[in-house]
Amino acid sequence: MRLALGCAAALLLAAPAAAQLGAAPKSPPPEGVAEDGGAGHAKGHYHELDALPDWGGIWFVQGGASGGGGPPLIPKLKGEYLERYQAWRAEVQANNGVTRRNRSNCSPPGMPRIMRLAQYPYEFLFTPGRVTINQEAWMQTRTIWTDGRAHKEDPDPTFMGDSIGHWEGDTLVIDTIGISDQLDLDTGMPHSAQFRLTERIHLSPDDPDVLVNEMRMEDTEALEEPFMVTVRYRRDRHGSLIEFQCAENDRNPVDEEGNTEFL
Amino acid sequence: MKTLAKLALAAAVLAPLPVLAHHSYAMFDMQRTVALEATVVRFKWQNPHAFIEADATSRGGTERWSIEMTSPNNLAQEGWKRTSLKPGDRVTIWVHPLRTGARGGSYVGVRLPNGSTLGEAG
Repeated sequence: MRLALGCAAALLLAAPAAAQLGAAPKSPPPEGVAEDGGAGHAKGHYHELDALPDWGGIWFVQGGASGGGGPPLIPKLKGEYLERYQAWRAEVQANNGVTRRNRSNCSPPGMPRIMRLAQYPYEFLFTPGRVTINQEAWMQTRTIWTDGRAHKEDPDPTFMGDSIGHWEGDTLVIDTIGISDQLDLDTGMPHSAQFRLTERIHLSPDDPDVLVNEMRMEDTEALEEPFMVTVRYRRDRHGSLIEFQCAENDRNPVDEEGNTEFL
Repeated sequence: MKTLAKLALAAAVLAPLPVLAHHSYAMFDMQRTVALEATVVRFKWQNPHAFIEADATSRGGTERWSIEMTSPNNLAQEGWKRTSLKPGDRVTIWVHPLRTGARGGSYVGVRLPNGSTLGEAG
């Protein structure tokens, strides 16, 4: 009997090991990228990066989550999305202003909210064919493909979505689809699977230590009209991101009723 | 700093939505500040929030408080370091207390044993 169990375990283990011994994984080139091109063939293209603007250092959201100045901007939801938001607001008001959570506080907010966090900085890394945005918050990584590829066909819904970018002079223009409809577009505000985000990111003409992100959110099912918000980040030239291991320091677990605890 | 804080407060009152952070700040009474005379038990310098555990002197003896701070990268900009506090340090800590009345709060400022201050002290 023990032998049989041992055999079963060996058989179970054998399968993945055998798979590892086979041929290396070989993804086809993405649509719009040649077999010998794209971000996977970075070598020989590093010198091209020198033409890109100076985004070195780390960047903190400036002047509050909305970038400061002027009256707060509010997305105009419609239909069932507006109803869901109104129900959420009513519940928060009835609950002494406290938001109920259906996910752990160690679960990141995803796009687009993660680009608007007041407490945790960002860095922008350039390599041939892609821009990588590292977010200190939840130690998240965002990849923006700039190698000419098209969006994935029917991308899996994810926290970061599927981002394709290109440079217009010194402005990085990013188009993002495939952001999970389980995430909020703003606090308490749901969106549909049709949600699409366009970002235009460039240094401020008034201050080279300020990076401007003009965000435009479109959602034909959830939004009455496109929602536009500009976020500004200020530079810390020699700063660096700090580790974020939420599970190692979770003082705010969520109880069964969705209330955030305080330990 | 005080002007900045007042501006931030004004902005917070105007903004219809909670500030986007690791979690909502609605659990704290941000309009109220309490000063604690306390002895540091533990100071943890780690995301998502640094925090201080301290025994505060009260009429009934001591109470163990848990004080949440912002992120280390934000705190570093007001002069904080991992070694700014150590167990046994006698300090005054100003906090926005939890609405529930539990012994916890959101950090506002501190007076260190050497008399220097960080954040909004007093």
